[in-house]
Amino acid sequence: MPLANPPAPQITRTRSAVTASNVWRAYGSGEAQVVALRDVSVQFASGAFTAIMGPSGSGKSTLMHCLAGLDTTDRGTVHIGDTALTGLGDKALTKLRRDKIGFIFQQFNLLPTLTAEENILLPASIAGVKADPEWVARIIATLDLSERLTHKPTELSGGQQQRVACARALATRPEVVFADEPTGNLDTRSSGEVLRFLRRSVDDFGQTIVMVTHDPGAAAYADRVVFLADGQIVEDLHRPTADSVIDTMRGFENRVPLAGEAR
Amino acid sequence: MLRATLKGMAARKARLILTSLAVVLGSAFIASALVLTASIRATVADLSGDAYRGADVLVQPLEPENRGDRLVRDGVTAETLAAIESSEDVAEVSTTVSWMVNALGEDGKIVGGFAPTLSVNWGDASVERELREGRAPETDREVAVSAQFVTESGLGLGDTVTAYALDTDETAYEIVGVYGYSGGRDSLSGATELAFTTPEAQRLVFGGEDAYTAVAVTAASGVSADDLLASLEPAVGDEAQAITRQAYVDDLNAESAEATKLIGYFLLGFGLIAVFVSVFLIANTFSIVIAGRLKEIAMMRAIGAGRGQITRSVLAEAGLLGAVASVVGAGIGVAAGAGLTSVVANGFLDTASTSVAIPWTAPLAAVAVGVGVTVLSALVPAVRASKTPPVEAMRAAAKADKPILGVTVTGLLVTLLGATGIVLGLNETFDGDNMNLMSAAVGAGVVFVGVALLTAWLSKPVVALLGAVWSWSFAGRLGRLNAARNPRRTAVTAAALMIGVTLVTATATLLTSVKESLAAQFESSIQAELFITGPVTSSVPATFDPELMDDVRAVDGVDTAVELYYDVAQVDGTEQSVNATTDLEGGIALFGGEVVEGTVENLAEGQTVVNESSADLLGAGLGDTVAMTFSRGTESREFTIVGILADNADTDGWYVDRSYATEFYTPKPTTALVDVADGADVEEVTADVEAVLADEPAVSVQNHEEYLAQVTVFFDYAIIAIQLLLALAMIVAVIGVVNTLVLSVLERTRELGMLRAMGMTRGQTTRMVTVESVTIALFGALLGVGTGLLLGWIVQQALAPSGIEEFAVPTALIAAYLGAAVLVGLLAAIAPAVRASKVDILGAISYE
Ligand SMILES: Nc1ncnc2c1ncn2[C@@H]1O[C@H](COP(=O)(O)OP(=O)(O)O)[C@@H](O)[C@H]1O
Ligand SMILES: [Mg+2]
Repeated sequence: MPLANPPAPQITRTRSAVTASNVWRAYGSGEAQVVALRDVSVQFASGAFTAIMGPSGSGKSTLMHCLAGLDTTDRGTVHIGDTALTGLGDKALTKLRRDKIGFIFQQFNLLPTLTAEENILLPASIAGVKADPEWVARIIATLDLSERLTHKPTELSGGQQQRVACARALATRPEVVFADEPTGNLDTRSSGEVLRFLRRSVDDFGQTIVMVTHDPGAAAYADRVVFLADGQIVEDLHRPTADSVIDTMRGFENRVPLAGEAR
Repeated sequence: MLRATLKGMAARKARLILTSLAVVLGSAFIASALVLTASIRATVADLSGDAYRGADVLVQPLEPENRGDRLVRDGVTAETLAAIESSEDVAEVSTTVSWMVNALGEDGKIVGGFAPTLSVNWGDASVERELREGRAPETDREVAVSAQFVTESGLGLGDTVTAYALDTDETAYEIVGVYGYSGGRDSLSGATELAFTTPEAQRLVFGGEDAYTAVAVTAASGVSADDLLASLEPAVGDEAQAITRQAYVDDLNAESAEATKLIGYFLLGFGLIAVFVSVFLIANTFSIVIAGRLKEIAMMRAIGAGRGQITRSVLAEAGLLGAVASVVGAGIGVAAGAGLTSVVANGFLDTASTSVAIPWTAPLAAVAVGVGVTVLSALVPAVRASKTPPVEAMRAAAKADKPILGVTVTGLLVTLLGATGIVLGLNETFDGDNMNLMSAAVGAGVVFVGVALLTAWLSKPVVALLGAVWSWSFAGRLGRLNAARNPRRTAVTAAALMIGVTLVTATATLLTSVKESLAAQFESSIQAELFITGPVTSSVPATFDPELMDDVRAVDGVDTAVELYYDVAQVDGTEQSVNATTDLEGGIALFGGEVVEGTVENLAEGQTVVNESSADLLGAGLGDTVAMTFSRGTESREFTIVGILADNADTDGWYVDRSYATEFYTPKPTTALVDVADGADVEEVTADVEAVLADEPAVSVQNHEEYLAQVTVFFDYAIIAIQLLLALAMIVAVIGVVNTLVLSVLERTRELGMLRAMGMTRGQTTRMVTVESVTIALFGALLGVGTGLLLGWIVQQALAPSGIEEFAVPTALIAAYLGAAVLVGLLAAIAPAVRASKVDILGAISYE
């Protein structure tokens, strides 16, 4: 049963960057219908780092896709800043993603034909604008990529590739960066580097980040953790630590069995 | 998970279909070429089976088959006919009087192109004619014409047509009937025909003598054709010859079989080029498909599959795919061949009724070639797949390009080898001309293969250069980078296109060079400004009244005017071209000829002048005597050689005094050269000369360009024909481009999804794929043009000693090929680009 009122999100900053209100999303029809999101309402504050957690199949990716204008909602509305996504056509959504959203994927997803630097500048190139060189230089320096700029992705390690992907996501100063399991394919050391950078970009640059993750350790870098189970928001944890995240997960483990352990 | 599985299957299905497409096409070409050839033969046999239907024996003049440049001296005479009719074994006799005729169309020009115009007596039995309009000719000034004649002349029922034969004056006839032939045909193999009354036909062919070109005899009941043949022997005698109708039809069939055999080889040749091109396509498709399965293969290796097992499994897949695809291809090919038969029959034989013949070799050869080619093409990718190290299974998706060093070194060596052959050949290192020509030609072929091997190496710089054009657009830049991404793949795709372009460029270059060489020789040697001549294709040579030459000479601004008579005569028992003129010295001068020995002044009776090599051919020299018999000559005449000319294509041949022209096949002049005085207005002179010749519609006054265009018209047709046939290979290559692109797009689904997620628009995606496509196509075309020019140049160089001294680049054609390549690139991009722009973003980026 959906709650009559969603748990009131505590807005830590002045304004919310992303807002979802009463979002429903189902796949398939009839017997085989899977409801991936049931009446989800959530706000992501501007300049905050939010993690979305939950067992495998709980709807994390679906939520993120709906928030990022990659997937459509069945019911409910999504806003990026002041722009309502509901009802926008492919052209408008594409433009919105291009101008307002940055992505970091689990697979590093760099273009193998381009150098690291060209990959970082890719969103700007697609938009046909010139990225702010000072800003880009600052990101590159922060990510310690200066030495690697002329390298092709095949010449980079997994961690380096994901750092390039991070730089790419931030290069156009998007309103919000969505990251789906950004550390899922990385070793502990590289994961730490990426997460520390995401943290810094929020603290130093005021970036808004929404990150889907399995890993309580990763979630601990966030300002807030939203827990999903069976397509619903079941917990909303502020100022998390690894331990408090694990405790929270234990808390609803009896309700929904935790299917996947962090890889 | 189910979604992923279905997706994978759909993807694999697309790959399977695309790979099969190449095989299907290759084997379909083979099957259709074979079926088409057999069917044309069968159709032609049916058509010749129509000839003299109902007759048992044919009586014809001696040597009846020589048409056109020969005189029919003696027809079957009225006495012979009477003797035949009086035989008791004869039930019915039908006579034919048929030969060449010239008819003037609505525009006053001679009707007909390469197919002849024939005169015939209405009602003869040589073929079944079906009156479509009007009636049969009843008086000597009436004529019925074939439907084809109506189409080509622009004249119709009720109009007046002017016609004349070799020895008759122009006569006007009223068209009283229009007819077609059995099977709804408008013509017999494209020829135009005019049917007269028998006496008029005899006047045209035999000058009014009561004679026939054929007599068809039907046996009385109970008499066999052979018996009839035997019993007619005394009546026929040795003035004519008799054969059974069956033997006559068999002869016709044997002749057409010979001709269709050539067509068959020709079609098969071009079909094999197409198959050769599809080898590239198949190999490329297999490589891409295997590259996509590398992880799977590595996994199998990791769990213990041996190299041989991997190779065998890929080959087994290729064999199976080849078998299924080539069976489908054979089916399509047989159907296409059968379908094409009616097109070809309509176009070339002008018959609506066709026979389709399907030789069992057609499907068999198609399947054999299909399976063979597929397995062979899969060999390299299969072996490469077997070398996949098991650790590949654990590696990230992005993989470095395979080194192309091996192919490049091989390509360089092969190119060098070919170049050596060419250099040796061109420098005439070997004894004997043929050895040198062979060496150059084989070398050229080897260079071709070498360049094909070098495409991978060449692709980097050339694609980078081509890509500079697109750099203004980011999507364009990505497309260009994608084209350079797999040098092997781009190279093989481009090489497939290169083959066709190379061949068309090389032939076009060579033919243009030949044309230009002729033109250059002509310009440098011919002194005359104007030519009076008729179309080379007319059935009866176009001639004009020699009396008019005095009027031409009297035109203000005409310096010299020399008319020429032409004959193919027997000179010491060999066939030679013999010319006659009133002013040999002037003629030789106007043609730019050069006298080596003796004199060409005032050629007297019994004297002749000849060029060096023609004299050498007969082992004759200055002062020697030769015997000549002209076309109309009844006796052999002796001539003494009084002058020798330097060899020169324009003046080669024998020359005799004009008085002998009465014994020539055409007793009237066929050509005249007019030298315009310096300072005179050529256009004005042309108009004046035209006025003099106003009553001679067969000939026209031409300047150098017009004359050359007429003489070299064959080359233009040859270029067009070869381009049409090679279009086949081009189509395969285009499918190759589509194939590569679609597979690449499939392979890059994830990447495309990411780009779209990051905000790349559908338009940008489309542009990216299109640029990749156009770049590959242009690369292939550029390589082809380059190699083609090189090959054309080599052959031209090798032929330079035989007079092909000019190297000419067919610029307009090459520009057209490059334009076509861009178009091909654009067309080939449509499907893959649409696919890329519609990529399901979520499906592409989600990773489960
Ligand atoms: N395209 C789709 N078609 C059908 N079912 C889907 C699709 N996408 C997701 N689902 C289902 O929706 C549910 C939520 O999936 P997802 O959002 O990917 O979960 P998570 O990311 O938390 O593992 C799952 O049960 C999944 O099977
Ligand atoms: Mg997920």
